[in-house]
Amino acid sequence: MTKDDTLGDTVQTPATTALARWLARATRAQDVRVARYERLPGGAIQDNFLLDVDIRGGPWHGEHAFVLRTDAPTGVAASLSRAQEFAVLRVAHAAGVTAPKPLFLCRDTAVLGREFFIMKRLPGVAQGHRLTREPALVPDGAALARELGANLARIHAIRPPWSDAIKRAAHAFTDTPSAAGDGEIDAIAPPPTHPALATIVEYRSWLDKLDDAYPALEWGLRWCERHAPATFDIALIHRDYRTGNYLVDEGRLAGVLDWEFAGWGDPREDIGWLTARCWRFSGVEREAGGIAPIEPLLQGYESAGGVAVSRTDLDYWQVMAHLRWAIIALQQAQRHMGGGERSLELALTGRIVHELEYEVLQLITRSGA
Amino acid sequence: MRDISDAADLMTTAREALLRDLLPALSGERRYAALMIANGMAIAAREHRLGTDASRNEAARLRNLLALFPRDAAESSGDPPTGDVPALRKVICAAIRAGRFDAHESAVGNALAHTAADWVAISNPKALRT
Repeated sequence: MTKDDTLGDTVQTPATTALARWLARATRAQDVRVARYERLPGGAIQDNFLLDVDIRGGPWHGEHAFVLRTDAPTGVAASLSRAQEFAVLRVAHAAGVTAPKPLFLCRDTAVLGREFFIMKRLPGVAQGHRLTREPALVPDGAALARELGANLARIHAIRPPWSDAIKRAAHAFTDTPSAAGDGEIDAIAPPPTHPALATIVEYRSWLDKLDDAYPALEWGLRWCERHAPATFDIALIHRDYRTGNYLVDEGRLAGVLDWEFAGWGDPREDIGWLTARCWRFSGVEREAGGIAPIEPLLQGYESAGGVAVSRTDLDYWQVMAHLRWAIIALQQAQRHMGGGERSLELALTGRIVHELEYEVLQLITRSGA
Repeated sequence: MRDISDAADLMTTAREALLRDLLPALSGERRYAALMIANGMAIAAREHRLGTDASRNEAARLRNLLALFPRDAAESSGDPPTGDVPALRKVICAAIRAGRFDAHESAVGNALAHTAADWVAISNPKALRT
């Protein structure tokens, strides 16, 4: 730590020095001071850092509150690179989705050792157990659910191929010196022929990489295969749109976070994930993410142009949601059991698989098989 | 009544001491870590009490499922040893994926649901619904 005559504290470590130098180039500034650089809690897959900077000179002159996002040491299957995530977030933000504005992408691993991007920091609370338990944070759950639904519909309005309008809007973000171009956006996995069946194939391939076998998960996947919807849509989907991954500020939706799993799929997959029992935290009886009943969510979604979602669709994609979370939890448990990353949190994540299996079987029975 | 603490009692007693004597002195991340430790200890204690039965019952249910359809000699030669739950699970999974249990929905659903409930009773009994 060194003290500057005119500014507050400046953080000087090899990382912040390299970061400040890079950011000065990116913002065409004379000088950049890093006032705060701290790891944010809760990133099992990505590392997020709070970043406060003072930029002197150039178009960004002034103090800024940013979040820097980079890869955690061990990744999980099917997550985007930071460049891809940056590109997707840029397109989503340009399409009017409530999300942090992505600002700068750095693909040069010489700066921090890993790719990273910087986005605007938004206010609010994301923790699921708080949002589903503290009425002061969510005074009107139905209103928040409507906002969540409408916002999700705006993501799902992005269809392959990218429309010219969205491309133009994305290119309007010329702030960044090394913007991810169309090439990277196109490099995300192409739209599937049949989204549900493609998802099942993918989940089976993940299961096959594990050491043990899981009959309940296998049974759930077989059920999903036999009950795969005949008709479907294909849109940009977020794949982690749930309570815990969005910020709520003064009772309103402030921004949707964590875009690393985004890709093409059936929009109902996102609805199933958001409403699955495993993501309701303390509000298990409130189907819309533990926040509200299902109706306001679907009203908000459909009134903003979202696809029709039936009870059958909800059951189907909630089964799929529990399967997905179970397999990801097993992957996390394997990081611990494999010895690469011994961690009580990862070990306990593995133990939630039993609940997820139980829920899959309950849902299948309830839906009348 | 036994004279000496077994594994489950030691784990339960250690957990109580953690929650009673240490937790009040902790806050923030450390408090969260202590609660995770307490949760891990509670699961271990329950598994010590219930795990043997859960495994034995699971193996019996899986063997019953395998007995649902007649098998040819080639398959029988690959029979897992009795009581080897991981091996039984693998055989069942392959048969499910191949669609061989499609005609036995309620039998498979019931067997797997009972097994899942047994393990939820160990991992997180609060999640059980009646």
